[in-house]
Amino acid sequence: MSFIEVDNICKKYKVSKRKSGIPGMVANLFAPKFEDKEAVKNISFSIDKGEMVGFVGPNGAGKSTTIKMLSGILYPDSGSISVGGTIPYKQRKEYVGRIGVVFGQKSQLQWDLPVIDSFELLKAIYSVPDDVYKKNLDRYTELLDMSKFLKQPVRQLSLGQRMRADIAAALLHSPEIVFFDEPTIGVDVVGKENIRNFIRELNAEDKVTMLFTTHDMQDIEKTCNRLIIINKGSKIYDGTLDGVRKLHGSSRQLDVFFANEVSVSPIPNVEIEEVDKRHSQLIFDGKKVHINDLMSHLLSTYNVKDMSIAEPDIDSIIRKIYSKEKVA
Amino acid sequence: MRLGAYFAYAKKTFLGKSAYRFDHLMGILSTVLQFFIFYEIYRALYGTGKSVDGITMSMVTTNFVLSLGLSTIFSPNDYFLPGRIWDGSISTELLRPMSFKGRMIAENVGESFFNLLFKFIPVLLIAIFTTGMEKPAGAQNMVLFVVSSILGYGVLFTISFLVQMTAFWLINIWSLITIKDVLVNVLSGKMIPLWFMPVWMIGVLKFTPFASIYFTPVEIYLGQLSGRETLIKCLVQIVWIVIIFLIGNVLWNKGQKKLVVQGG
Amino acid sequence: MGDTLHLITVYSKTTAKAWFQYRVDAFLRSLAVFLREATGIIVIYFTLLKFDTLSGWNIYEMLFLFSLLFLTYGIMIIFFTGLRDFGKTVRDGSFDRFMLRPRGLLFQILFANADWFAAIGHGGLGITLFILSAGKVGIKWSGANICYYLITVAGGVLIQGAVFLFIATLNIYLLQTDSLKEMLYWDMRKFAGYPISIFNKFIQTLMIYVMPFAFVNYFPAQYFLRKEDMAAYPEVYIYLTPVVGIAMYILAYLFWRYSIRFYKSSGN
Repeated sequence: MSFIEVDNICKKYKVSKRKSGIPGMVANLFAPKFEDKEAVKNISFSIDKGEMVGFVGPNGAGKSTTIKMLSGILYPDSGSISVGGTIPYKQRKEYVGRIGVVFGQKSQLQWDLPVIDSFELLKAIYSVPDDVYKKNLDRYTELLDMSKFLKQPVRQLSLGQRMRADIAAALLHSPEIVFFDEPTIGVDVVGKENIRNFIRELNAEDKVTMLFTTHDMQDIEKTCNRLIIINKGSKIYDGTLDGVRKLHGSSRQLDVFFANEVSVSPIPNVEIEEVDKRHSQLIFDGKKVHINDLMSHLLSTYNVKDMSIAEPDIDSIIRKIYSKEKVA
Repeated sequence: MRLGAYFAYAKKTFLGKSAYRFDHLMGILSTVLQFFIFYEIYRALYGTGKSVDGITMSMVTTNFVLSLGLSTIFSPNDYFLPGRIWDGSISTELLRPMSFKGRMIAENVGESFFNLLFKFIPVLLIAIFTTGMEKPAGAQNMVLFVVSSILGYGVLFTISFLVQMTAFWLINIWSLITIKDVLVNVLSGKMIPLWFMPVWMIGVLKFTPFASIYFTPVEIYLGQLSGRETLIKCLVQIVWIVIIFLIGNVLWNKGQKKLVVQGG
Repeated sequence: MGDTLHLITVYSKTTAKAWFQYRVDAFLRSLAVFLREATGIIVIYFTLLKFDTLSGWNIYEMLFLFSLLFLTYGIMIIFFTGLRDFGKTVRDGSFDRFMLRPRGLLFQILFANADWFAAIGHGGLGITLFILSAGKVGIKWSGANICYYLITVAGGVLIQGAVFLFIATLNIYLLQTDSLKEMLYWDMRKFAGYPISIFNKFIQTLMIYVMPFAFVNYFPAQYFLRKEDMAAYPEVYIYLTPVVGIAMYILAYLFWRYSIRFYKSSGN
């Protein structure tokens, strides 16, 4: 039995069909009509203690819904979730005391007060013993370099500082699992590195299980060892990042730079993406299209200034996966 | 700047208001209820009496209908400037080609026009059909009433303008605006007809702009003023508009120099 | 229990500290609330200077009537600020955050926020009016009367709290409840400043049976003042305030519990 067991969970939302105009609004007030939207369709997976898993998927794919069910905020319509032997949505108060959640877009800190005040409030809310609190506080302050701004009101912090404070806040009560939702959004490069290092160290030393939902593939590349891709409510991939790359192992990306403005005409078996008027990315399967043929075609047809070839970045691979229904 | 741009801005505000219909209906209901409270209070106060100090119940009713009515039409957005200082958009706003003050007025005019059609008229109709309101004392009075109302609006607007300017220094001016509203509500005749104020208060009010907002138009409507008095009171309205605007403008210029943007 | 009390203390310190960040503003805010609520009283004061009594109630009796309204609100808002602002809490995602904390949901909403300005503004006004009027309306403060006063104030707090809880719960179903709240609570409350006997039957029915402000201040005031207009109502109403308060609160609470389940199962 893994630490986190998710078994065939489903979730439907009722989306209201709103009519317009005053009659519609009154009607909506008294007899609202709803339409079913399947947000999560039979998703299953298990996660062991100490794993770092990334959840990836386009907007509306069902990631946040899955995470909400895992954190106890929503009930699944069917299926079951078990975390460390507890059912999240059935024993909310006991369960949430053992998890931490970081919302990149919404801080849980008191806006007008010094960071440390928020920490002390959280200490009281989670009933953290004094010694544990002090140990964690000192440790996080050092690792996340927060001593300079601990006493500053949150509204005066830069985004990177606030994010670090929020991460520390989510960890004050030594949770066993931490959910990160867009944790580095808007943070500068140095800040991102700092946060990623911290996360890796926490996982290595304390064996904290971590789940990430993010659009930043670099985050995932640098911290996670496992990737779950969700699209249209279903799980379409569950494995390592390398595994994803290997699936498209023969996939190649050719960046072509032109001397003048060019719109590349369609080429069979090649996906063309126009980055700007003088730069296009061509993605193709190396087994199906010969690189020689492609390059000579381009050189003879257009005024090419520069070319470079590489394995496609993980972003394009993922995007490609979204457009297919299922991957091996 | 082209007048057309201001008109477009006013129109945009007008159309934007129609999006919130439920709120709107509630707003009308709210005003009607407010009116009825005053009406019932004075009905109880008058009892079987016909008039007090020469003021009849229907004159009192008229005062309330008109004051409340005018206040639904003309309600300046007190947070036009403060809101933009609070969220920092003030810097970009000042870079736009349209004059900031011009836009303030244009937006409010658009709103006022909307309120006139969709708030004032329903309230007026309800009040007329359920209570005894007086007709205007004459056609002339009606016309002058309209003129004076607009002047009264000018007074109200410049007061709002002046208070808003303090936001450059205080940023969060909710308390000042609330206090301003209290003064306007109590002293403009909107909640207690100025005929019933103690003599000393009426004396004090002469040095304030508040009576010029709603009460002057009401007096004109009811034919309580001679031709000469009407002229004088309208002039007083204009004088107040000028004075308050000038003070506000001084603050506006000073404020521009000291732009503090809050929020990160 | 001790742990919960400790948390309540920390909550209170945190909310008070946050509010006093803007020092000048803190004083001004309370003053502004005080004056805004006092507007109705100032107006009735001038009105009664001219007219002496309103349906037999003189200025001191009116002040006493008002004082109950403000006192109960001032006490209520200390606890129910979170419910007053619940719509915003749901809309901006803070409610989900409450669900992620190992504490009761309603508990957090009640204690995590307190609008001290509103409390001091309304409560201060209520106390001021009480001091001004209590001596002048002929009340004997016997043990029984003091007991009655305290219980009826508590009842008035519960009645209004129940309304706030009910409207807050509606936020789970409706996107916008602000105008409804304005209507149901604030507009109705304006009527409560005056003896309900001056209004027509329809309004009176609303004030007694729909949005029972009459039980918050009119009937309790009548316990002490016994004005003539009380004859139009059953005498027992004078004693019903705590009953109405408890009943309303229980109903509102049940609705709340049901709606939380709905929130968790319907997705948001």
